[in-house]
Amino acid sequence: MNKNLILYAAILFFGITAPFIFPAFKVQLSILCILIVLALTWNIQGGEMGYNTFGNILFYGLGMYLCASVQVGMFFPLAEWTESGGEKTFVHTPAQFFQGMAVGLVVAAVIPTIVAGLIGYAILGLRGHYFAICTLGLGVAAGEISGGIEIIGAGQGFTTPPFPDVGGLESRGEFFYFLSFGVLVLTFIAVRAIYSTRFKLILNAIRDNEDKAEAMGIQTMKYKIIGWMISAFFCGLAGGIMGGLVGYIDSTDVAFDGREMGVFMVLMAILGGKGTLWGPVIGATVFHIFKEGFWTFFLGWQYVALGVLIVVIVIYFPEGIMGWLREKFPERFGETIDEKDRKAQVELK
Amino acid sequence: MKITKIILSFVSALAILLSSSVTSFAKVVGDKIILGSAISLTGKYSSNGVHTQNGYNMAVDRINSMGGVKVGGKTYKFEIIYYDDESNPKRAAQLAERLISQDGVQFMLGPYSSGLTKAIAPVTEKYGVPMVEANGASRSLFTKGYKYLFAVLAPANLYLDVAIRTAVELNGGKGVRIAQAFEQDAFSQDVRLGILDAAKETGSEIIIDDKLPKELNDMAATLVKVKQMKPDVLVVSGHTKGALTAIRQIAEMKVDVPMLAMTHCDAAKLSKQHGKNSQYALCASQWHKTLTYKDDFFKDGMTYAADFTNEFGYDPPYQAAESSAALLVFKDAFERANSFDQKKVRDALAATNMQTFYGNIKFAPGGQNVDKPMVLFQVMCDGAGKCENKVVAPLKWASAELIHPVPKWSER
Repeated sequence: MNKNLILYAAILFFGITAPFIFPAFKVQLSILCILIVLALTWNIQGGEMGYNTFGNILFYGLGMYLCASVQVGMFFPLAEWTESGGEKTFVHTPAQFFQGMAVGLVVAAVIPTIVAGLIGYAILGLRGHYFAICTLGLGVAAGEISGGIEIIGAGQGFTTPPFPDVGGLESRGEFFYFLSFGVLVLTFIAVRAIYSTRFKLILNAIRDNEDKAEAMGIQTMKYKIIGWMISAFFCGLAGGIMGGLVGYIDSTDVAFDGREMGVFMVLMAILGGKGTLWGPVIGATVFHIFKEGFWTFFLGWQYVALGVLIVVIVIYFPEGIMGWLREKFPERFGETIDEKDRKAQVELK
Repeated sequence: MKITKIILSFVSALAILLSSSVTSFAKVVGDKIILGSAISLTGKYSSNGVHTQNGYNMAVDRINSMGGVKVGGKTYKFEIIYYDDESNPKRAAQLAERLISQDGVQFMLGPYSSGLTKAIAPVTEKYGVPMVEANGASRSLFTKGYKYLFAVLAPANLYLDVAIRTAVELNGGKGVRIAQAFEQDAFSQDVRLGILDAAKETGSEIIIDDKLPKELNDMAATLVKVKQMKPDVLVVSGHTKGALTAIRQIAEMKVDVPMLAMTHCDAAKLSKQHGKNSQYALCASQWHKTLTYKDDFFKDGMTYAADFTNEFGYDPPYQAAESSAALLVFKDAFERANSFDQKKVRDALAATNMQTFYGNIKFAPGGQNVDKPMVLFQVMCDGAGKCENKVVAPLKWASAELIHPVPKWSER
């Protein structure tokens, strides 16, 4: 337990000092935090519950649009803000910006949670591939629908309020970094807390054999919905922050970006090792570093390089990085090997 | 738990990796002025992204080989750092941040498309980095009060304005019935707003107003309606893919419409790819090689086109020409500012008033170029099936007369 405390303290220390040690990388670090949040929450469904969802991007995009809309709509007419021919320029004062952001983030977390509850009630009865394909449709549909709603900019896109003129040039980067790092810490604590309760065991039971779980008297539907609502809460928050960070929301390319973010969150969790607490964190970190590297060194070929990486992962690390480590160093994961028994088995072969 | 150690060593390895990769270039190194640009080398805008990049590269080579940029009595050469934004606004905004804060770039060239420029402009604005862009035409870019954004092209709402006015004129001044279909993106939607304005002013009626998806491959539903409703004008805009899809399906379905107005015909190499099927299409263009503008570096449009074809093996679309012009604007501004101070360069850019082979360039307070009208050309084919783009409006530069109405498919 002591060592754990040291580890968490070290990571927290690194997280807080990172933007000052690497001032030029603040945006990448903020995005890393968001990616980890998405991977961690995807793991609740995909890893622990065995429900491969592509629908979490829905909550992320919803959060993004909601946060920006609230932030603008609280102080100015939203329709005039997004109207492209408009000759007006609205400027948020610092107080308006931060108040709007705060209220916006609350809305961005709460509404997707409710939506997850409603949609979950309707579709979490589906299992396996059917569920995966259904959720894939959710993201695509949301992208097309939002691309037709004029008040949030439709195909024109939505420019989020620019960061107000407070502090120096660095203040925007620092603000968004600490905001996303804060959400990451919150998410990690929440997920870790959940995984230490009976709730996680129920999710695992659903993954391993849902019918048996039901036969044991577990109301699986209830737990599946609650699990998804938890994911939606944090995905919405992540989306809200990302919208402010990017500064421009486009329906299919930024918000309901199932083709990139929607796939990345699955990939990161699998790369790190799904069904573990640390897997998504490590997976997202490794993925992000590789991705940024490929973008710099394989210009124009970055997706080919990324594709090769994925193939390598699937072939050599099918259980993810954590799974591989666990196999190599089982004793470090608190597993002991009975040498006698092992030898006996080897000799039998 | 033993796992702690693994994670600790992982975190420290990450820290070492990150810190060793911090490299920073200054904006002016030795005799080089380093410009930065995020360009769509992959994704849905990749073909236009490459046109843009070729345009930039050609101008860099030309300016460097013809004496470079003279600032403070010293000669400098241009160099550009490129990143691939994958046609994705989120990526573009990140890359702008990266170019400025990591690579130390202090002057930027624009990306391809309005959406991506919209994503980058807030970043360059925040850092006070002057950006000359050649491919972001959406009007909303110029109403946000940006101080460091300069566009060498005419805003998007003017693209097909001329076409509607011409149709009305040919209709004896009476309003026409317009069918329109636009891709769901910032640029095309702005072209749409321009049409709405023109329709209102000329008393024209819009009878079909469709939205097309991104990654445009099919617009049959719209064309079926067009066949039924028989409008006087059909307007389509959806970047390169939109132009190709429209021509392919109009020919397949034999849709007869008296006037077909589009954007991005030359970027799509329509006349080459679809030959006679693309005949009579009217296209909005920022530039055409037969225009009579001149400058010292590329001489004129015809010479530019010949040199470009020589180097890259295809006719330059206007996306390439305007991108080359952006470099000429930067050179001019650096020399007039006689300094690399960002504020001074910005002020020099704002005071730009020059002619390039691409057209006159003079910026309005919002940053758009107000001194260069759009031209309209029509795809015309000879008997042997060789097709060419000929300017038909405005009359000052017209090299051929507009063919109107478009002959029916049964008579072709």
